[in-house]
Amino acid sequence: MSTVGQLALLFIGAALINNILLTRFIGLCPFFGVSGNFETSLGMSLAVVFVMTLASTSTWVVWTFLLEPLGVGEFLYIPAFILIIASLVQFVEMYMRKVSPVLYRAMGIYLPLITTNCAVLATATEAAKPGFFKMNIDLGASLGLGEALIYTLGVSAGFGFALISFAALRERLDIAPVPKVMKGNPMAFITAGLLSLAYVGIAGWFGL
Amino acid sequence: MGDWIKTFKQGLSIENPLTVLMIGLCATLAVSTQVQGALFMGLAVIFVLTMSNAIISAFRKLIPNEVRIPIFIVIIASFVTIVDLTMKAFMPGIYQFLGIWIPLIVVNCAILGRAEAFAYHNKVGLAIADGLGMGVGYWIVIVALAFIRELLGTGKIVMFDATLIGLPSGYAPPGLVLLFPGAFFIFGFMIAITRALGERAEKRRKAVTS
Repeated sequence: MSTVGQLALLFIGAALINNILLTRFIGLCPFFGVSGNFETSLGMSLAVVFVMTLASTSTWVVWTFLLEPLGVGEFLYIPAFILIIASLVQFVEMYMRKVSPVLYRAMGIYLPLITTNCAVLATATEAAKPGFFKMNIDLGASLGLGEALIYTLGVSAGFGFALISFAALRERLDIAPVPKVMKGNPMAFITAGLLSLAYVGIAGWFGL
Repeated sequence: MGDWIKTFKQGLSIENPLTVLMIGLCATLAVSTQVQGALFMGLAVIFVLTMSNAIISAFRKLIPNEVRIPIFIVIIASFVTIVDLTMKAFMPGIYQFLGIWIPLIVVNCAILGRAEAFAYHNKVGLAIADGLGMGVGYWIVIVALAFIRELLGTGKIVMFDATLIGLPSGYAPPGLVLLFPGAFFIFGFMIAITRALGERAEKRRKAVTS
């Protein structure tokens, strides 16, 4: 995996064909939690892309230069990676509040939520030690930093795309004539099912 | 003692993490294709939730407010690592089925949510009761969902290589039930049914009191 074409395929495969939200159920909490409103889902998606990219880079560095050479990765990776993500999120939040109030208002309030977003931990782990989770794509034995970054960007873009399109659907559902017991969350699940059906339909394209 | 029972019951019914609070959904929908796997997933969650609630509650006066989230997460991660390595060593088959979802218990919002909302402010006994109640509430829903999906999707319930219940052989299982969209559909109907039942009970209670 090195040419531009292969990297582009990696991106598309991670983003659309093996969308982690709708074909793997990873990161469902924000999917239902913040999708009630289009603006919020936009802010959340931006925050996820941002944090995921930073998190993957740091876990990749820590895994490659620290955990694996020392031979302790097998039983320390869960505490190590989650601690990296939690402290990273905290730092980003503090930094953002100081430096850019506009950006903080747009995505700051979603940052604490991201710590407990399984999509971030899963992607960061997968990028650092591929094949371990068998998450969505067969990534081979190990990734270079560049490939890990493209993969993370792809996954987070797919996450954002699914979240935003789902939020747009839900805003229209609010005014739809839905039976009373199905209003709100139950109907959201049925909609998510239909959306997921569309994504399952394109699974396996380009041999991905 | 009465408080403990009350806290325990809340997790089962009005504060059920899955059908009411809607947290910790990811693993539920993903592993509920098999009753056996769902059973062990639920047990793992009960263990981690109860233990982390107990430890966090015991140390609640020592944990500074500003860095509480990273501390909670490290405590939870240690218990998840225990479960992860134990399952890998003693139940390789089930571990393979659950795969990614065991390490991901760390970020299950139900667990951090309880640590933050309950264990950090309550005594150890109550925190344990809350952890058990929430865990068992989670366990019941995940097993129920897995029961429906496995029965409809494969036509039988298999546990430890023995068929427990089988539908008549003329039943042609629809594959959709086991696929990802099927989980969304069935869970959507499950919430709608629990909600309808809850509303009916509420109405009856009102009719009795008035």
